[in-house]
Amino acid sequence: MGVQPSGKKDHSYIENLEKKGIIFTFNVFDSIDQTGTNTMAEGGEVEWELCKENIQPLKKGRDISALREALSHQQEGSSSHINQHKQAFESELRVYEGDDPLDVWDRYVKWTEQTYPQGGKESNLSVLLERAVVRFTEDKKYHNDKRYIDIWVKFAQNGPEPLDIYRYMRAQGIGLQQASFYIAWSEEYENQGNFRAADNVFQEGFKREAEPHERLLQFHKALQARVARQVMANMLEEEEEEEETTAAKPERASLVDLKPRGKKKAVAPINRVGAALSSNQHSLQFQGSQASASSGQNSRLVIFDEQKAASAETSEPKLETWKAPPPSKSKENEQRPEKWSSVKMPMKSRFGHTVLAPPSKPNFQPFVEELDQPPAMTPCKINPAVNSVLSARKPCRSETPLKRLQLHHHPLQTEGAQEQSMYCKELLLSGAAEFCFEELRAERYRQKMAVKLDSSAKEEQAGCGLSN
Amino acid sequence: MSIFGTSTGFGSGGTGVFGSTTSDSHNPMKDVEVTSPPDDSISCLAFSPPTMPGNFLIGGSWANDVRCWEVQDNGQTVPKAQQMHTGPVLDVCWSDDGGKVFTASCDKTAKMWDLNTNQAMQIAQHDGPIRTIHWIKSPNYSCVMTGSWDKTLKFWDTRSPSPMMSLQMPERCYSADVLYPMAVVATAERGLIVYQLENQPSEFRRVDSPLKHQHRCLAIFKDKQNKPTGFALGSIEGRVAIHYINPPNPAKDNFTFKCHRSNGTNTASPQDIYAVNAIAFHPVHGTLATVGSDGRFSFWDKDARTKLKTSEQLDQPITACCFNNNGNIFAYASSYDWSKGHEYYNPQKKNYIFLRSAAEELKPRNKKW
Repeated sequence: MGVQPSGKKDHSYIENLEKKGIIFTFNVFDSIDQTGTNTMAEGGEVEWELCKENIQPLKKGRDISALREALSHQQEGSSSHINQHKQAFESELRVYEGDDPLDVWDRYVKWTEQTYPQGGKESNLSVLLERAVVRFTEDKKYHNDKRYIDIWVKFAQNGPEPLDIYRYMRAQGIGLQQASFYIAWSEEYENQGNFRAADNVFQEGFKREAEPHERLLQFHKALQARVARQVMANMLEEEEEEEETTAAKPERASLVDLKPRGKKKAVAPINRVGAALSSNQHSLQFQGSQASASSGQNSRLVIFDEQKAASAETSEPKLETWKAPPPSKSKENEQRPEKWSSVKMPMKSRFGHTVLAPPSKPNFQPFVEELDQPPAMTPCKINPAVNSVLSARKPCRSETPLKRLQLHHHPLQTEGAQEQSMYCKELLLSGAAEFCFEELRAERYRQKMAVKLDSSAKEEQAGCGLSN
Repeated sequence: MSIFGTSTGFGSGGTGVFGSTTSDSHNPMKDVEVTSPPDDSISCLAFSPPTMPGNFLIGGSWANDVRCWEVQDNGQTVPKAQQMHTGPVLDVCWSDDGGKVFTASCDKTAKMWDLNTNQAMQIAQHDGPIRTIHWIKSPNYSCVMTGSWDKTLKFWDTRSPSPMMSLQMPERCYSADVLYPMAVVATAERGLIVYQLENQPSEFRRVDSPLKHQHRCLAIFKDKQNKPTGFALGSIEGRVAIHYINPPNPAKDNFTFKCHRSNGTNTASPQDIYAVNAIAFHPVHGTLATVGSDGRFSFWDKDARTKLKTSEQLDQPITACCFNNNGNIFAYASSYDWSKGHEYYNPQKKNYIFLRSAAEELKPRNKKW
């Protein structure tokens, strides 16, 4: 939900949010109201207008000055200022010595969201969130810190399987006292049309006395209201349809196979994945229930929503602890590659008796049809070796953020036993970007100098007049 | 020329040949100590070019200074002059005529130090600390190339305050080398960019990193015709890659090798892996030296793919190394490289620069001389 490909923002997504009663403030609008109409004439106001479809909506809204700055920097192509700022954060992550290291991460994440309105790869947000989340998993004191939970929720929403992350959080005991955790989790269920599970999540939140209670209560009521409204709407539409069935209005048959035109019989497969799927699901499920409810001629197609049916059964959040990593979401019936050519049959037992060797030839004649010829090679016009337009698809990384999380908790034993790095690896890699030794050292130096400057300035103020 | 400030202790003056009677491991190879070394970690070393008579060594340090020593034929080192930056010095290089030294610093500036007048002036400015500096001498132009953590590579005519060219890089510059007409830059996040310098500098190719860990040091090597043909790249995890730009058989010609690791391969204890801090190619034999965080230097023959020598272990990491112009002297600096963070930094620990005869040890084995 959080990051969608820029430019493809569906307005239904925004509607969806509004429907859910999330206060969706786009601070931009506020500031225009405040500053009045004369600022509209200025160029700055128009600039964000030109690229607003690429701006990722944030629940908390955007700071208009940060947005304007970010957009103007992008148009000028001068990123050095942003780079410096980012670098400053990266440095701070590494040299921070206070007792609240999460604070730096929190500010860094928020700054990144504001500075890269389009999101996307260059913002590095997903890496940042993952590192932040991993960094404090051992730190019990943050497990019910609102800021930490917010980062977790953002991380979950960024990933392909938010529900898995939420379940993982519960198994790890992260955020159990935080209302925002339950709200985000419930929202995810609701998005998938599983209202009962969404409600159950709230119930669990109440049971665990998550704070702030008011907020949880408010969102729970909003959920109930939406569910009720939808039930009402369904009933109303049912009635309407019953009236309309007699009229039999011509209507475009939706959700049926398109008939191919002309001689070509190619049908483009529709494979929706990820965010597109989950955002569509809402409407799909709605249509489905409508179709099944109305028994008119129009509803000749009843859609069996597998996910809905499946989730209805297993919707109750089970309260067993989750110790083992969840099964990987890989393909079914996938054969594990294993070496079988070198497997040897034991030919002789220990006592020298020959064990019956498998007959090299079967003692029956396999039937071979004489006319059967080996299939001819499909003629290939293009020599694949010459064709350089398409390159072989690289083996996709099937690992999900969740898997990496679990790997972090249970690192592979085989790798660690043989080699160990004799340098401060965790320091170099503790941010979203890597650092080298010299950068670490330079940051120390800079800090030391700043302190020195500061103290010498104070000395001068004190009237000593000795500047070292 | 001004002599170094007399505040620094000259106690260990003279060559280490006579002085190093103690059995401590700061100089296990019994090499010649350079007198009055810098007061903080030595970040870079460079010997004077062949156009200059005699051997002069330049060293930059984290104490913000750049020092120049004359290395006499008997191995005696004489401190000659020094210049200061307002931040740690990260790289130095010589002009081709040997008249000038260029220095790059964390204070975001680069300076040109005229050795004849002992005057230094600022010639470059970046938005971040400058990590690398190189002198480029081409038939139709000459300039200074600076690579910075601000993700730019800039080319400076030394007379103008603004760069003659500025190239954007995808990441921060971590290491670079220049051998006309080729320049290679290694960046953070394992970036590798090859530039061609003919007519004017331009990006030639981006290379997928042959290494899996952070890039740390890089050196270009020459083919039999003395033309740059590839580079050696050292990583933070004890490995060096030899990479040719246009190899006849990439799969065979390019390779990587392990180095600067503890010899615990066959024991049950894990193998300790150290960072490769610097690489230098021998100007005559084409063999190479690597120095590491483990406090050892090693000599290698990349063509025969063999190790020629590994040193005893020093009590500190080796942070920099270089050969002089005829390949007779190998200089290496022993000081803390920050590989274990600031907790392990001991400002009281003395830093050393050692000189070693390199004429014999770096000869390739298969050549019967």
